[in-house]
Amino acid sequence: MQNLFFTSLLVLTGGSIISLIVQRDTKLSYVSSVFSMFGSLLALIFSIGALITQSTLTTTLPTSFPMFNISLHIDPLAAFFILIVSLIALPASLYGIVYMKQYAIEYNLGVFGFFYNIFLISLLLVITAHNALYFLFVWEIMSLSSLFLVIFENKKLQIIKSGFIYFIMTHAATAFILLSFLLLFQFTGSFDFETIKQHFASIPFVIQTIIFLCMIIGFGTKAGIVPFHIWLPWAHSAAPSHVSSLMSGVMIKIGIFMLFKMFLDILPQTPLWLGYVVLIIGAVSSILGVLYALSEHDIKRLLAYHSIENIGIILLGLGSGLIFIALKQPSLAMLAITAGLFHTLNHAVFKSLLFLGAGSVISQTHTRNIEEYGGLIKLMPYTAIFFLVGAVAISGLPPFNGFVSEWLTFQSLFSGIATSSILIKSIFIFGAACLTFTGGLAAACFVKAFGITFLARSRSIESEKATEVSPLLLISMGTLAVLCLTLGVFSFFVITNIQLIVKSLSLFASKTSSLSSTGISLQVNQNVAHLNMPVIFLVMAVFIALSFGLVYIVSRKQKVVLRTVWDCGFNALSPKMEITATGFSRTLILIFRGIFQPSKQHEIEYVDADIRYFSKSKTVTLGIVNIYEAYLYYPLHNGLSIISKQIRKIQSGNVNQYLLYIFILLLGLLIFARY
Amino acid sequence: MSLYSKILSVPLTLVPRKIINQQNDVTIVQKGIEKKIKKLFGGSLAIREVDTGSTNACEQELMALTNTYYDIERFGIHFVASPRHADMLMVTGPVSRNMAEALKKTYEATPDPKIVVAVGDDAIDGGIFKGSYAVLDGVHNVIPVNFQIPGDPPSAMTILSSLLYILNIIDDKSDQKKQ
Repeated sequence: MQNLFFTSLLVLTGGSIISLIVQRDTKLSYVSSVFSMFGSLLALIFSIGALITQSTLTTTLPTSFPMFNISLHIDPLAAFFILIVSLIALPASLYGIVYMKQYAIEYNLGVFGFFYNIFLISLLLVITAHNALYFLFVWEIMSLSSLFLVIFENKKLQIIKSGFIYFIMTHAATAFILLSFLLLFQFTGSFDFETIKQHFASIPFVIQTIIFLCMIIGFGTKAGIVPFHIWLPWAHSAAPSHVSSLMSGVMIKIGIFMLFKMFLDILPQTPLWLGYVVLIIGAVSSILGVLYALSEHDIKRLLAYHSIENIGIILLGLGSGLIFIALKQPSLAMLAITAGLFHTLNHAVFKSLLFLGAGSVISQTHTRNIEEYGGLIKLMPYTAIFFLVGAVAISGLPPFNGFVSEWLTFQSLFSGIATSSILIKSIFIFGAACLTFTGGLAAACFVKAFGITFLARSRSIESEKATEVSPLLLISMGTLAVLCLTLGVFSFFVITNIQLIVKSLSLFASKTSSLSSTGISLQVNQNVAHLNMPVIFLVMAVFIALSFGLVYIVSRKQKVVLRTVWDCGFNALSPKMEITATGFSRTLILIFRGIFQPSKQHEIEYVDADIRYFSKSKTVTLGIVNIYEAYLYYPLHNGLSIISKQIRKIQSGNVNQYLLYIFILLLGLLIFARY
Repeated sequence: MSLYSKILSVPLTLVPRKIINQQNDVTIVQKGIEKKIKKLFGGSLAIREVDTGSTNACEQELMALTNTYYDIERFGIHFVASPRHADMLMVTGPVSRNMAEALKKTYEATPDPKIVVAVGDDAIDGGIFKGSYAVLDGVHNVIPVNFQIPGDPPSAMTILSSLLYILNIIDDKSDQKKQ
């Protein structure tokens, strides 16, 4: 069993080395992708096996460094996340075989393959790490290897800038994680998670609070919570699409995984306020993520903002779970945690599907601006269908998987509203309201994304020339699309298994969950609510078949004539007259002008500036203010540079002055030693 | 190409001046029209008017049909805003070059079966503009025309009695088909 995992790691390592060996020959660049596919397939089999047997594997390899043990620990929770990683890595690697060919002339694919495989290894190792120092080591490998994947197109200045933002944010996050681990070491005397788990209760309350906050900031930055999310839109849009799908679908889930692992397993019995904080962060992230997605016209940045939204939804589940644990209601907590875990899986599937779809569109049109797409459903019908499946799933509509996990999250929030305390009640109401609103806005946003991209007429010459992408890309997208449907329809089966994972946590040992599945239907709180996905799917299928049948019967004998659109005899119907993404989202931007602070600039050039009747040209510039950058990051950056300028003054370059500094320091040390 | 062959094949009927002059009692004509429209169109005839560069004289007369004296809306005749809704196209003007394409598009946009009526001497053969470079000398050079109503401009009464004549011919034809 364990050997399978190590074989998978070995295969991936082999892939990365071979990729470097064959880097001169661009025709062999697919080899490393084949290795990563094979490695992730092995990991997939391993994780399924580990989940079925519900076994916990622990291995420790001592090293010559003090405190630094290569300690692997695969419990069902870790196995579940290995499942997510390998499930997404498999189609993404398949996609990469063909997708990377467009970069073959300009860039070195061998180096890409190296970092890609290293990235997959580090993902698997981070999940299994059980020693804080070793964890930080592989965590750094993960951050750095993904950084090199992000800046793969290193001849573009914009991409280097994106990579730089990612680099700074991810290392600021690591600093917080390091701080929390050092504090844990200070008070427990060990970097081993198992020892930390045993001694955590003895840590003073204030230190515990600091540790919790550092962890939320550190892991939350990786996961992309508001306001530490600013790297997501930059990094996800810069990387090649299948890497974006891995980063958005899987890597940010590692942050979520660590939050789950820390708060539910390693540091159990978290205080009530932590639940509040996580729930409120979740609610705010979900709503701000979707709002920024609405205002975005770069398809990959749009999807990146949706990742922030979905991380918010996952945190709503985790937050309500933590609140229930603190309130000593483990059965409800199990429901909420299950909802969070299931949404983690679902988001990985549909978000990587959407990124792969976006990648296919970008590879054909060579632009990320959705205003230049249009009419692609006729040119790329399969891509369009797969993208539509992803869009429906992420909007939380039945019969796809997003619906089930959002429904479960709603159920856990509603159970929270039923509690007695007015404060808890109002927080849950806030969360439920945010989630409802988010669902509506997400649907609106994907109406925009799908409609502008695939419907109507082509808006640019590039998108007129688009053709359907190669079958390998379609297979990888199709697999994920089918998964979206399967996870939705057979959610009763998946949830039963996720419940087993939740039960395996020591916190919930021998507790019964308020979520149960009888036969094919799910039940919450002894029949307060049910959901029967197979029946919903069947009813929908029957109704769709019926409506198509009826339309056929009615219109069977009618002659259908296809004519051009009646344009009042004008000869100038052009794609410029179609509704644009800007126009579609403008109304919503104006409604939320408090958040967006939209700006509008008119620039009119007149033929004769004195007689302002005839204008030569008119330009309207619409913009929104990025409030985090404007009010948080720029002041921080400016403050830092002002301080550094002040500090620079002591560096005069005069030797005598430096001698004076040494003298003052010596004096100070002497005084310090004396008292 | 099919449009040109259709122009040649569709029979062109000029409403004779004799018939127009014969009937000048408004009430009799109107009753006839009402009866025919009930029979042929289920009580509603939708007309789309296309101005292809006329002097607006014909438009004035067509507009007069909807005033309180003639008030053709009583019989279910409407002037509609889109050829998609129309049963009949009424084309005025000598068809200027700039309007030729728009006229063709309008003809194509009108659902079948459709009746095309050229109203006024301009629309029949260019009228006073005949031979000018800027015009194409009549609607029948651009689209198939079924009926032509002469006059420069035809008075409202003329248009009304011509309409009755046209409806009578259509009725006769449909009766023949049934037999």
